[in-house]
Amino acid sequence: MRVNPNYSNDMVNLMDQAQQAEDTAAQQLSTGRRVSLPSDDPAAESAMIAENSRATAADQYTANSDSLKDVLNTANSTLSSVVTLLQRAVSLGVEGANGTMNQTDLSSIATEVSNIKGQVLALANTSYAGQYLFSGTANTGAPYATDATNPQQIDYAGNSQQNQVQIGTGLSVSANLPGSSIFSQSGANVFDALQSLVTALQSGTSSSIATAQTSVSTALGAVDTAQVFYGTTVNELTSNETYLSQEKVNIATYQNTLVSSDTASAATQMTQAETALNATVAAAAKINQVSLLDYLK
Amino acid sequence: MGLTSDLNVSVQSLMASTEAMDVTTTNMANINTPGYARRRVVLEESAPSGTDQSSTGVDVKTIQSLRDSVLDLSINANTSQQNLNSTISSALSAVQVVFSDTASGSIGSSIDSFFNSLQQLSTSATSGSLRSNVLTAASNVASAFQSTASVITQAQQQADQSVVQSTSDANSLLQQIADANAQISSAQNLGQSSNSAQDQLSGLLTQLAGIMDYKTVNSSDGLTLTTADGVPLVVGSKAYSLTNQLNSSGYNDVYAGSTDITATIEGGNLGGYLQTRDQTLSTLSTQLDQFAYQFASAVNTVQTSGSDANGNAGTALFNPPDTTSGTATGAAASIAVALTSGSQLAAAATGGASGDSSNLTQMLDLQNQSLINGSTPTEAFSNLTFDIGDTISQATSNATATGSILTQLTNQQGSVEGVSLDEESSNLLLYQRSYEAAAKIISTVDTLMGNILDMGVTNPGY
Repeated sequence: MRVNPNYSNDMVNLMDQAQQAEDTAAQQLSTGRRVSLPSDDPAAESAMIAENSRATAADQYTANSDSLKDVLNTANSTLSSVVTLLQRAVSLGVEGANGTMNQTDLSSIATEVSNIKGQVLALANTSYAGQYLFSGTANTGAPYATDATNPQQIDYAGNSQQNQVQIGTGLSVSANLPGSSIFSQSGANVFDALQSLVTALQSGTSSSIATAQTSVSTALGAVDTAQVFYGTTVNELTSNETYLSQEKVNIATYQNTLVSSDTASAATQMTQAETALNATVAAAAKINQVSLLDYLK
Repeated sequence: MGLTSDLNVSVQSLMASTEAMDVTTTNMANINTPGYARRRVVLEESAPSGTDQSSTGVDVKTIQSLRDSVLDLSINANTSQQNLNSTISSALSAVQVVFSDTASGSIGSSIDSFFNSLQQLSTSATSGSLRSNVLTAASNVASAFQSTASVITQAQQQADQSVVQSTSDANSLLQQIADANAQISSAQNLGQSSNSAQDQLSGLLTQLAGIMDYKTVNSSDGLTLTTADGVPLVVGSKAYSLTNQLNSSGYNDVYAGSTDITATIEGGNLGGYLQTRDQTLSTLSTQLDQFAYQFASAVNTVQTSGSDANGNAGTALFNPPDTTSGTATGAAASIAVALTSGSQLAAAATGGASGDSSNLTQMLDLQNQSLINGSTPTEAFSNLTFDIGDTISQATSNATATGSILTQLTNQQGSVEGVSLDEESSNLLLYQRSYEAAAKIISTVDTLMGNILDMGVTNPGY
């Protein structure tokens, strides 16, 4: 069979291929990526887009958790202070109700309880970064204020709504607890209870003092129960953050398998391509030296 | 029989050897000429002469061009396919960059950032700075759509310019093919060799195959070229030149005479540019418009169902392009943020308190809803990434595959048509020897004739 006398085309093709393989391997080595453009591996690139989105979402969920924890911890410690104050009010009530004190002492206790009521009011109006913690979602205004016509009464100006913050896909937590579920629950209104204790202490009637002390105790119990929400949510956020950081590791690992180049195999490919290129070039130089014309004299 | 006929035979042989050496020289000279097929002298015994018809010399019957026209045809067809695919691959390569996962400010990453800014806002719905961040992120989404749309349009315009260039290249080749046709038929009419015109034609056909696909039919007045569905391009010595006419999208269609052949060109550079411009990029552009339109509409629907920071009903966040027509055309290029202040973001449900973020929750849910033709926004973007990547990757691997076939075919063609210097050198020796032999016979005949003539001179006494 007659062979193609024109091997230069073949040689050029082979050299092109070897060159191409070498370039590809060098690029994989220098970028560390097997896939740089969608056409390198359309399925991997398309999966990368989805994974990138999951990764940034995980970052954002973590950031949400962080900022939420700050708010919730502030609210939690505020309620702890309230609980301490109410405990003091309860023990003052117990003291007042045992009938051994004279009216002067009772009046000074009444003043202290009245001060406690003011302190609790201030704590209930705590704000964090410009938002009132216990106003429900009406958090641009203070939740509690003294009634305009009855200075002894404290009115709730917030609402009973809760905001939800997403901390994962399809997973959200309540970001706040309205004051109406903490301080001014019906039957366990902190301010009403404290006010009734003040009034009872001022009246000096042991039985009314005891009744009022009981209602302060009830209100204390209600606040104590409400406080559990914050602790529970913070715990949930913390464990979710642990999950999210593990999730990010998983995503990164998966992304690695999607697009990263295998350094060892890329280096091997590069060496192979270079050897092939050298061999082709050497062969081309050798073959073209021979011609019958050289031997005809 | 007789010395004279020997002389005649030798002269014929001298002439045949000379002609054979001419052909060898021509072959050697054209070793690198594209389209050239090696030639061979076909010798035959000439008609017998002499009284007993014993002397037969040699004649050059013909000079044969060793062309394998079936091989040529399949090389041309593969050249068309290879150019089609490599053109598609290179014309789209600039576009795929904006769809890659590492592209900064891509549609995908800006939509992620937009939802993240909403997430951030949901932790503190009254924060002015977080509200501004959302507007910034939204305007980044709008500019990502705009710049992607503009990358696509630019690639379409470049392909369009290349269509015009390729059309004019094809025209020049069609004219040259018609001219070669004319030369071949006039040579054949005069009974002359048309080898060199055939070589030229073969080279031109391969060049044309690089630009567009075509069909050939041999007819009495030479080669007839038509498009795949039979619109004539060259008939005999007449070339039907191609023209460009603007279509309704403002791009150049290709006409042969008055027939629009744009859709029938499916090979060569021209086919590649047309397919890129009218199919791949056109589809991509439509998908992008729908993406932008449906995304903006979904966000606007949630936005207008809530209340802003001042308790007013929410107004559209994005100005949805051309709401009156209800179509998405041009949406990606014209999407923009309509709100001017972060306070206009409707974070709260209608009638909700100032710190309410329940409408934001609705907005955030969009991230996982199948808004865009059954896909979530992220899925919609990653689908586009897959589509463009897959189109390029297929075109590239097709080009590589056709390249290998082409190498194979070219080798095969070379083994039939290619000039080998070694072969020609040995032929040269062969013809040189036969020339020498013929010359030797002439000188021998000369000696013999001299002897006879000398017989009378040396014996005058008889």
